Amino acid sequence: MSALWTNILTQICITLIAVAGVYVLTGLTGMFSLGQAAFMAVGAYVSGILVVKFHWSLWPAILVSVLLAVLLGFIIGFPVVRLRRDYISLVTLGFGESIAALLNRMTKLTGGASGFIGIPRKTTFLLAVLSAVIAIVLVAFFKRSKYGRQCVALRGDELAAKAMGINVTRIKMIAFLLSVALTSYAGALYAFYMSYVEPGSFGWKKSADWVIMVFFGGVNSLTGSTLGAFILTALPQLPFMRALQSYRYVVYAVLVLLIINFKPSGLLGEWELTDLFRKKNKKRAADSEEVQ
Amino acid sequence: MSLQIIINGIATGSIYALIATGFALIFNVLKFSNFSHGATMTAAAFVAYFLVAVKGMGLVPTLLVAAFSGGLIALFGELVGFRRITLNHSSSTYFFVSSITLGTLYEGLVTVKAGANFFSFPQFFTNPTIRAGGLVISTSDAAMFLISLVVLIVLAFVIQKTRLGRALRAASFDRDTAQLMGIDSTRIIQITFVISGMLAGIAGTFLGIKYTLYPTLGSLVVKGFIASVIGGLGSLPGAIIGAVLLGLLETLFLVLFGSGYSTIATFGMMLLFLLIRPQGIAGSNIQEKA
Repeated sequence: MSALWTNILTQICITLIAVAGVYVLTGLTGMFSLGQAAFMAVGAYVSGILVVKFHWSLWPAILVSVLLAVLLGFIIGFPVVRLRRDYISLVTLGFGESIAALLNRMTKLTGGASGFIGIPRKTTFLLAVLSAVIAIVLVAFFKRSKYGRQCVALRGDELAAKAMGINVTRIKMIAFLLSVALTSYAGALYAFYMSYVEPGSFGWKKSADWVIMVFFGGVNSLTGSTLGAFILTALPQLPFMRALQSYRYVVYAVLVLLIINFKPSGLLGEWELTDLFRKKNKKRAADSEEVQ
Repeated sequence: MSLQIIINGIATGSIYALIATGFALIFNVLKFSNFSHGATMTAAAFVAYFLVAVKGMGLVPTLLVAAFSGGLIALFGELVGFRRITLNHSSSTYFFVSSITLGTLYEGLVTVKAGANFFSFPQFFTNPTIRAGGLVISTSDAAMFLISLVVLIVLAFVIQKTRLGRALRAASFDRDTAQLMGIDSTRIIQITFVISGMLAGIAGTFLGIKYTLYPTLGSLVVKGFIASVIGGLGSLPGAIIGAVLLGLLETLFLVLFGSGYSTIATFGMMLLFLLIRPQGIAGSNIQEKA
């Protein structure tokens, strides 16, 4: 495999981990985080700084950065999981701007707007692939667990879910924290792959990008979201697409607008790869399609 | 708090008020947070910049063109992004995605056209500052404050006193019932988008004058969102009060902590506020309705 492809695939795998997190939040629970990329920034910067400036070894640094991101997620999630789902989008957006401001400001520690350089390159292709597979399998199990089903229930109707005895506040928090953990881990891998991070690459556009990927492939299907992330990350990397690089966001946006207007369930709808192996599920999926 | 901080804070707050009311209008009628608002501001301000401001015409023509193009952009957004999902009564997640996508689209188009450069509006006033006693007020701040005030008064008049405003309030209370009472709610939604877009255009131009114009200027919309949250989502008076409060706090924090940290301080304030009084100053619906 050529170096170009290894590079593209590694980047795709890192994105897949983050998108698996966004799928838990947006696909399963119907919440939108427009500051999700800021958690990636926390993962990237904290682990990078611990390794470069404080000479920690890789894994403790990654662990601490993920734990810190989850703690931050808990602090900003705590007031808003009890409220309408709009609040989590608004608050995370504000969080993203704050993190960007902080990174730009703390120049001594973060290098400011010009970026943080000199992170050792420790993310190998194998590590990225393995992490992506584990993340996706983890989310697949989460989806089929009690928690995942409760997420889907409250996405449809919070009031009804509450009436059925689901602790809506708690489930929303669990989904949010799981997605934060995955995204910040992706951030750490990203930092140790790129060996350079800058605040500008973690803006709301990146968070919006991930949401778009999830919806492109199919918001109700983990397979679809993964596929969406794969296609939309790979496309702009291909040599013949480079010329269109500046139109990338425009093309994405047009694609998604078409999907929302004409096939709102995304490319794959409710279909999951595992459906191939179960007939019963297939029928159930078809039924729920009809109801919609 | 010195008088100077209060004056600067109110000037900033008046721009935030324009953003927050434009956002709240849409929230009122369609019950979703319109994340394309920021990019609409940027796009409209860029149109006004290239069509009018660089040709040396004054502030008023620039604002008129910005308002007009903001209205057009929002109308286009309603048509391609929201019309079908409104008519299908789709779940609110689709409104989110549509608005995020439209935001990406506008920002992408502006970036393609303008590059990642910074543009400054020409100086609109011959005297950059007004001195009154020991106070220094920038002329453009004063003009922005006055214009925002006039715009908001006109908006309040339209919403409270006209037939259109009554229809708008009815539709935001209950769209389906309003439709049964003979109100064309699709038309009302269109008009709401146009008004919101016009506010966005004016606010975008003001932000451009204050901080120079660049493609990601729209991210300042977050100030309007914070103001909305403090004031109570969807409440217009709340949005204005929240915006002025935010402007004052931010200016105070700027003096106390310097830039950068003031952003974090205001964000912390918002979290604290949500913890203590989640319904906002004006009180609004905070729970997900069936």
